[in-house]
Amino acid sequence: MTTHAETPWRTLSPRTLLAHCAWLGAPLGSFGLTLLATGGHPGARAWSTLGTVTVVFLVITAAGLVTYRRTRYRVTPDAFELHTGLFTRRVRSVPLHRIRNVDLTANPVQRVLGLAVLRAGTGGGTRSAELSLEALTRPAAERLRVELLARAGAVDAEDPVVSTADPRWLRYAPLTFWIFGGVFAAVGAIWRVLDGVGIKPWRIGFVRHAFEGFGRSALWLTIPLALLVVTALGVVGAMALYAENWWKYRLEWTDEATLRVRRGMFTTRSVSIERARLRGVVLREPMLLRAGGGASVRAVAGGLGNREENRKRSVILPPAPKSEAERVCTHVLGQQGGRTGRMGQTGQTGQTGQMEVPLTAHPRAALRRRFVRGLLWVVAPVTVALAVLGALLTPVLLYCAAAYAVLATPVVHALARDAYRSLGHALRGNWLVIRSGTFQRETVTLDRSSVLAWTFTDTPFSRRAGVVTATAAVAAGEDGYRIRDMAATEAAGFADAAVSGMLREFLDI
Amino acid sequence: MPPVLRPPRHRMDPRARTWWAVQAWTTLSGPALLAAAALLVLSALFFPGALPWLAPLALVVLVLPALLYALVMPAWRYRVHAWELGGFAVYAASGWFWQKRRIVPLSRVQTVDTHRGPLQQRFGLATVVVTTASTAGDVKIAGISEADARILAERIGEAAQLMPGDAT
Repeated sequence: MTTHAETPWRTLSPRTLLAHCAWLGAPLGSFGLTLLATGGHPGARAWSTLGTVTVVFLVITAAGLVTYRRTRYRVTPDAFELHTGLFTRRVRSVPLHRIRNVDLTANPVQRVLGLAVLRAGTGGGTRSAELSLEALTRPAAERLRVELLARAGAVDAEDPVVSTADPRWLRYAPLTFWIFGGVFAAVGAIWRVLDGVGIKPWRIGFVRHAFEGFGRSALWLTIPLALLVVTALGVVGAMALYAENWWKYRLEWTDEATLRVRRGMFTTRSVSIERARLRGVVLREPMLLRAGGGASVRAVAGGLGNREENRKRSVILPPAPKSEAERVCTHVLGQQGGRTGRMGQTGQTGQTGQMEVPLTAHPRAALRRRFVRGLLWVVAPVTVALAVLGALLTPVLLYCAAAYAVLATPVVHALARDAYRSLGHALRGNWLVIRSGTFQRETVTLDRSSVLAWTFTDTPFSRRAGVVTATAAVAAGEDGYRIRDMAATEAAGFADAAVSGMLREFLDI
Repeated sequence: MPPVLRPPRHRMDPRARTWWAVQAWTTLSGPALLAAAALLVLSALFFPGALPWLAPLALVVLVLPALLYALVMPAWRYRVHAWELGGFAVYAASGWFWQKRRIVPLSRVQTVDTHRGPLQQRFGLATVVVTTASTAGDVKIAGISEADARILAERIGEAAQLMPGDAT
């Protein structure tokens, strides 16, 4: 490794020291409570506890201060270097082209302080190959990530392995539908098996006892407890399912023309996608996963069977950190674009550069339409039903109707706002990018040359609002990908630009 | 001034209106009216007490929608439906309440079919279906005259053959 004396060293954020003090909250809180409880005269034990806490505080702060002073990092033209060491000093250096993922995380305290922990991994599976900086200010961390990935991506394209499993991704497993659905599905399956062999589950002694005991118990305590147990089971089940499905996950180019996904613990699955039939990728962020900062990736590819099979087989990245999902998208698309050799024409320097063209927002009318739809389908039916029943039966239901309307409207509005913010479309180099959805946000990136038809749909309502839905047809994945509620004035021009002049002869310019 | 997608040049055959009307009466409006009549007759015979609320209900739920559909839909549909064969693409508009305009380049066309159902034959009409490798790219031009359909299918077929590639 050559030395780069000219590259200056950078340091962590001093606010890290504050974040280290967060643990003080619990003991100081309990001391405060003791003060309150004893009326300002805490006993000897409380004082001794406080003394211990103070000593520990001093030691930790001193250690933190030394760590902070000794930790320095820099990005040289070919490596990411990190100086650390509390007692033993270490200098570690990772070649930039080996860096596979850069992950930013923040616990609640760090989030409040505007800090983030940056981890740069080489994706080799061993933790020793990972550099972690705790902690940087959020902007500094974002900048460093861009810096690391920009240089990592350039050489990355030659590496056949796109991504491999990381045990820490398991934390995203509970953020899926399976957390509750899985428990009920499992109970249902057991029930059916028992039923099939002629056992009536409710005749079994302990099941009946459990139900009777449940009925007699203090329900305000047992119902939350039961929910907690179901949630815990769901978490365990979701993690087990994730592990079974994605154990030894590996996404790689097996040769010039084939992208292969291999995964699975007991059943190993392997799906090969021909490069020639790969039309794009979908970045999927279901609401829960999005809240947890995760995403999964699906390939838009032909030749994976019918639509049902396609949905199962086209997943090329399980729920994982969003930065990793974005990296996989860029990598897969970068390789795919290389096939047609048109990446150069776009005049962009790197693949990451193209991904920064901002999405065009949709007209405000789209927000109004989403809100009205929510009111019509969620707020109105229940309110009207409750009100009618209330008028016929008991006035209590009238209050319920009012309460429901008052509570549901802001929720619907928030969801509509979120759905509206998701909407967007853009042309990024060789790619057509479409984003939409709130419960299931999807960012679709399609090869522009694979769009084989455009469809524009509207209704009298949407025409009055000045929006139209444009659908790009491709011979892969879901077949049609919709740009919902885009500005009607803009639609034809955008579609024409996306697929060099497909519409030109039908346009009035 | 942003470019605007103009409607396709050619309307359907005027006889298509009658065809749509007959379709409406036989599939939706006719059965709905019959059901309403049967309900009211049965109710008048056996439960005369139900008539005061059943009659308005049947009127709103069955009779009015059926009449509106049969009387309004064909004319509205005729105003929307249109087609055009350009130099490089097929362009078709369809629907009435939900309207759809679709453009498919000839280089993407895989097959061209012409259908003539029993009712259509009665009116001298035909349907041209252009399929592509994607189900979201198929074009259906329903209700043009048989002569137009023959020419259209032939020309799309010829043009599609001239285009290179496997149309995916």
